Amino acid sequence: MSKSTGAPSLSVVQNSPTDDAPQSGFTSEAEKELSRKFLEDGHVVVPVEDLGALDRLRDAVASGAAHWLDASTPEDPGALLDSIHARLGPTQVNDMRMSIINGLNTQDWVARDYFSVARKTIESVVGNELAMQRRLNLSVQMPGDDSSVLPVHADVWDGNSPFEVVLWVPLVDCYGTKAMFLLMPKANAQHEANFRRFSDKSVEDLFHAIEPDVIWPEVRYGEAMVFSLSLMHGNRVNFEAGTRWSFNCRFKSLFSPYGDKRLGEFFEPITIRAATRMGMDYTHLEGFDE
Amino acid sequence: MSKASQETLLSVGGSYRGYIATRPVRGDRIPHHVQGLVIRDYAQRMNLICPLLPAVEYAMPGCYMMLESVLKEVPATQGVILYSLFMLPERASRRQHMYDRVFAAGGSLHGALENIALWGHEDTGRVEDIFRVNQFAHVKPPADVAAVLDGS
Repeated sequence: MSKSTGAPSLSVVQNSPTDDAPQSGFTSEAEKELSRKFLEDGHVVVPVEDLGALDRLRDAVASGAAHWLDASTPEDPGALLDSIHARLGPTQVNDMRMSIINGLNTQDWVARDYFSVARKTIESVVGNELAMQRRLNLSVQMPGDDSSVLPVHADVWDGNSPFEVVLWVPLVDCYGTKAMFLLMPKANAQHEANFRRFSDKSVEDLFHAIEPDVIWPEVRYGEAMVFSLSLMHGNRVNFEAGTRWSFNCRFKSLFSPYGDKRLGEFFEPITIRAATRMGMDYTHLEGFDE
Repeated sequence: MSKASQETLLSVGGSYRGYIATRPVRGDRIPHHVQGLVIRDYAQRMNLICPLLPAVEYAMPGCYMMLESVLKEVPATQGVILYSLFMLPERASRRQHMYDRVFAAGGSLHGALENIALWGHEDTGRVEDIFRVNQFAHVKPPADVAAVLDGS
């Protein structure tokens, strides 16, 4: 496993409420803090809960990259990923990315491991009866590559429900322009209030307008970020030394409203509780007359 | 269905039959040729042979006559590729009966839009979960962004 290159980022919050955590009302203090942070910042960065699962995911991606490059299995998977730009160019990176993620998405263990990376955090922020995006997405952004830039957007503009969150998990240390940018809720609301003035302007104009307010959360290997997809976010050209590799995948409460990303096509139930199963199967009695 | 068309359906050994809809699927009307493209793309990705014209279900709500015909030919075909699994009957017991028939005949069912394959009974639980939750799940499309831009 790659070692983090420094101290944990300051925005990391603890995400492991224990059974004996102080309770106040119906939620523990740790859960309250996580919720407060999510509502205030629009995101939380947390230590991963299952480092073994993250290592398996990272190693599978690195093996896929090595296979695509016709190279041997890497001894240091993190180093291979971080320096992949030394082995191929921007015109090849998307073919490699698609080959890797398409292979991973056919394997059942991948979604399970991905969820286990931040299960408690997702359950605290979203709920414990969940639908999960059926395919993980993989981003690869090499230094200086302007073909992998994801312009500023909010997923709700593309049909996602505002009840969804994104679990964003880097496979290398991400910081500066190697990370993604995000508007926090207060700034997001201010810019949305003036949104109509962009009706005849470009997405790049929009980015320049929000640029002074965006943040670039630092998320190291071994950490994960959960953020609201109703907030404007995206990435820019990576001017750091290493290549960014990150997964993203959406989660929502099973019965919160769905947008255009539907159950079956885009989402799949992953945790249906027993009482819900019983409720869904129940049929009210009929046949009585007044 | 005429005897001639039934014979046409039955002369398809070794391949999969596509199944598309005229009535809306989950509230959306999808042109036939678009449904056909989705099926062909799925078949190609899954290495399934699907060279034949798809069966087109009649428009009447609750009518599954074409699907019944397609299921009857399953012993001669490898199975059915539906444009969407949500074209299966809404009634769970009726779906279950269809699963039983297809698997007993050695065939499989596929939802091209959902990219889900049902090769046997062990795969139906996952799909039935989706059907059941979908019965109760609320859909609220995101606000129209154009309306925001218009200031309305």
